[in-house]
Amino acid sequence: MKKRVGVFVCECGTNIAATVDTARVAEYAKTLPGVVYAINYKYMCSDPGQELIRNAIEEQQLEQVVVASCSPRMHEITFRKATAAGGLNAYMMEMINIREQNSWVHHDHEQATNKAQSLVRMAVAKVLRNKPLQVSTVPITKKAMVIGGGIAGMQAALDIAEGGHQVIIVEREASIGGKMTQLDKTFPTMDCAA
Amino acid sequence: MSIDSQAGWEPKIIVFACNWCSYAAADLAGLNHLEYSADVRIIRTPCSGRMDPMLVLRAFNRGVDGVLLSG
Amino acid sequence: MVAAAQHPNIELMTYSEVTKVSGYIGNFKVTVKQKPKYVDWVACTGCGTCIDKCPTKKLADEFDFGMGKRPAIHKLFAQAVPGKPYIDAENCLKLTKDKCGICEKVCPTDAVNFKDMAVEKEIEIGAIIMATGYDQFNWKEAYGEYGYGKYPDVISGLEFERLVSAGGPTSGHIVRPSDGKEPKNIAFIKCVGSRDDTKGKSYCSRACCMYTAKHAYQVKTKIEDSEAYVFYMDVRTAGKNYEEFYQRALNAGAKYIRGRVSKIYPRGDKLILKSEDTLMGMPIEVEADMVVLATAMVPSAGAVELAKKIGFSVDKDGWFQEAHPKLQPVETFAAGVYLAGTCQGPKDIPDTVAQASGAAVKVLGLFSKTELATEPMVSEVDITKCSGCGLCVPICPYNALSLNEINERGGHGHGPFTRQVAVVNNSLCQGCGSCLPACRTLALNLRGFSNDQLVSEVDAVCL
Repeated sequence: MKKRVGVFVCECGTNIAATVDTARVAEYAKTLPGVVYAINYKYMCSDPGQELIRNAIEEQQLEQVVVASCSPRMHEITFRKATAAGGLNAYMMEMINIREQNSWVHHDHEQATNKAQSLVRMAVAKVLRNKPLQVSTVPITKKAMVIGGGIAGMQAALDIAEGGHQVIIVEREASIGGKMTQLDKTFPTMDCAA
Repeated sequence: MSIDSQAGWEPKIIVFACNWCSYAAADLAGLNHLEYSADVRIIRTPCSGRMDPMLVLRAFNRGVDGVLLSG
Repeated sequence: MVAAAQHPNIELMTYSEVTKVSGYIGNFKVTVKQKPKYVDWVACTGCGTCIDKCPTKKLADEFDFGMGKRPAIHKLFAQAVPGKPYIDAENCLKLTKDKCGICEKVCPTDAVNFKDMAVEKEIEIGAIIMATGYDQFNWKEAYGEYGYGKYPDVISGLEFERLVSAGGPTSGHIVRPSDGKEPKNIAFIKCVGSRDDTKGKSYCSRACCMYTAKHAYQVKTKIEDSEAYVFYMDVRTAGKNYEEFYQRALNAGAKYIRGRVSKIYPRGDKLILKSEDTLMGMPIEVEADMVVLATAMVPSAGAVELAKKIGFSVDKDGWFQEAHPKLQPVETFAAGVYLAGTCQGPKDIPDTVAQASGAAVKVLGLFSKTELATEPMVSEVDITKCSGCGLCVPICPYNALSLNEINERGGHGHGPFTRQVAVVNNSLCQGCGSCLPACRTLALNLRGFSNDQLVSEVDAVCL
């Protein structure tokens, strides 16, 4: 695998840029072994931001992508898709969190920028060891089970059944209906519960 | 020995954080803008079960001052 | 209810419990235990002759909290779905003392079968919706000041529902459980077990403000010259048309008093409630014929154990944990298992129905695919390094690892031989990586979080 990493530093409006000098982080990234391209941009997750990634993959013949931005728990899938749209395997991308775990928890610009740099260094080191991964598939048994036959279970079962699939309701009492059958009229309309 | 007596000392702390709890909690700390020391570096792991003692030893071997496993 | 029973795509397994769940999203195997009903529901027409003829008639009806009576062979309630009877084995004369057997004799279709046994069935399914609901907080154990349940006319909101229901033990006539007389003054106490860290739960049960308003309204409209006193901490009416409904209860004459009742004690055949009116800033005393407690919702009995069996988490109070409090309210951490209704947390009927439809959409979305993509970040075995020691097998929390025999060609003077190596089931593996530290030969690795990836991160930090 060739080492051609592109680093994309997100400013997240001012969420990151107010604390972290993103231009300096991008400049620093260019000095890291394997990195051939680095840029900072206002919103990496936006359409133009993703286009930036797609185009850079093609124009710079990138093999690996690092996105320094918010938490991967937020946008990992977004950037995997953007990486795949650029022609790479989606798993050749690493995200590094410089928002929730950096710009939002530190005040000092210098310290936060230094930390962002070392985080990017960490992500670059990791991504150079990423391997393309293939998604495999398994068959689906298209039959559902609803555990509990109260109003929630009945409603869910009816919706799935109307969608054309088999549903089994498992109810521990000898009748479905649940607590609802014990209720008289219900608020706010005062219609009957059964 | 207190930390204050060594002004300017910047310790290196590595946190191995489980993606599903501690990493998410660190995100939550960010969401609430709870400030902490910038010396901390969080490495995401899929689960604290992934933690190999080898990684901790490696970190100390490379000069890290503290390791926190959280999961 | 009937719509669910009649739908051609819905199969009902009532009087049944889930005992075992294995597998993964799209491919679960669930074992369901059908408890013995002693009545063949295929043959039974639901005519009810057995119920009429059963001599053991004076059993306390659990459905009406003991306020009504039922025979040993009975339906859960008159309009039960399916409308078939079953035998209460603990109280049936035939099953306990081998006497009687009248129901068997009178049944026109020979549906009664005293030899019925529990049956376990294994069922293959692709998705599970949890809808196990709630139970009432057991106030009788916690609230000594309300009598620990020793005053018969201090009842819960759900018991009041049975009293006021046309299908209930009194055909909807509100009477005192103690003497069957119609009460004139009824007091309602909200937040019994809810919002009470010391005796109950810290959370708000969400439906009580509204059903108490309904109860007060029903008292005012059903009983002439009645008074409905509602003791409250706050009145929370966040819902469409809820505030308007509360105003309707006020306009009907319900008296709302802001304060916690500190004690209930009997005086003659009345109950005295001591409280404070915090808006007036003075202690008050109210005389009531009956007291209704708006008890907290708690997770259904057995719900926590069931969550453990299936493999997803519950919160500190035992409610099923959703995958994200805002963005994934119907998913659990177990892929393919979804949540509907109060099993996830207290809620009222509109919210329950909405969440149930949400969970159904998740299932339909899953079923709209022909195949399911699996997460590729799973463990892999380098069989050239694996010694087949098997240490990783019991460590895997998802039973994704097993030992398999492979054939080796042999060489260096040895003929062909077989040996064991670890094998990962990619569908079961959740990619936690717990097996890696157990592997002595470094044969196991985790895609996406491999040994060299994590080591390189550590090294990069230390530069």
